[in-house]
Amino acid sequence: MNRSSVIILVLAGLFALQVIIAARRRRTHEWHTILWLMVSVVTAALAIWRPAIDEIASAMGIYYPPSALFLACLSGLLWLVYRLSLEVADQRRAIRRLVQEVAILNARAPSANSVHDDAVPARAS
Amino acid sequence: MNRPLLTLLAHNEAASIAGVVQELRAQVPHAEVLVVDDGSTDDTGAVALRAGAVVVRHLVNLGVAGGESTALMYAQRHGHDCVIRMDGDGQHDPGCVQDLLNALSAGADLVVGSRFLGEAGFRSTGVRRVGIALLSGLLTRLCGARVTDPTSGFRGFSPRAVELFSTTYPHDYPEPESVLMAYRRGLRVCEVPVRMRPRRFGKSSLTPLRSALYMAKVFTALSLELLRPRSP
Repeated sequence: MNRSSVIILVLAGLFALQVIIAARRRRTHEWHTILWLMVSVVTAALAIWRPAIDEIASAMGIYYPPSALFLACLSGLLWLVYRLSLEVADQRRAIRRLVQEVAILNARAPSANSVHDDAVPARAS
Repeated sequence: MNRPLLTLLAHNEAASIAGVVQELRAQVPHAEVLVVDDGSTDDTGAVALRAGAVVVRHLVNLGVAGGESTALMYAQRHGHDCVIRMDGDGQHDPGCVQDLLNALSAGADLVVGSRFLGEAGFRSTGVRRVGIALLSGLLTRLCGARVTDPTSGFRGFSPRAVELFSTTYPHDYPEPESVLMAYRRGLRVCEVPVRMRPRRFGKSSLTPLRSALYMAKVFTALSLELLRPRSP
């Protein structure tokens, strides 16, 4: 095993450790923990089995093997960013709903300045 | 319509909101006036309350669509049988509210107060006029009915429209998309002429750049709406 493989293995190990520490503190969701641990495992596997990149590139018809690695990384990152944008949209919707509910529950009526949903006088009735 | 809810959407409109609330209360005394204070940093909410409106306050700014759907949610929970939405800057003439209420009483589900119908057509800035004309032409083709003012925020909602739009609502600036949504879901949509008054305080948040971005967003939203099923 050459020096670069050892460096990548150490980095993959440190990254996996950080992922586990964050998960232990409940800072990441289980699905994200699994995803990032898989990234560590795949990185470590490629560091140990270096000809794999050549074989994968050859199978994909890519002449320059590192390009296959870049393609895989970029595709993975694009997918991840897309998934995160969906999650941001979901959270935005949830926050909006929460803000609306709080606003309605704290409706203030002119007569009593009450901060109570049911206490809002229906002036129109 | 026994229990109309007149809603004013307001963001930092402390200078104008009291006058608009008082005008509305005088014009339609049997209605409840609701001010949706959309995360103002001035005294909009307190001023509106003193002027006699019920006030709901967003803790953060949600934009026009968020404000409108909050008003519709409020109407649904408090048993209002129709909603009129106006802007809190006083540009929408409270004297036209009764015309929108009459259209709702006549059976319309979504009534749009058009600034371009009637005797005194509204004159907007050049960029906005082009945008509105493009949107108007597109919506007229998509809806199969004449739409003269697709961006008007002076609108009335029947119980059917309240039910639809309190649960399913477009993002950001919702007006053109909601007109198409209403048509595609079989709601009766009509326009009535309304008068616009000059803004007395503050300035519009729409700059030329924002207008261009708004147009891009609306065209995308309308295209996406066509891909959705007609029933909600």
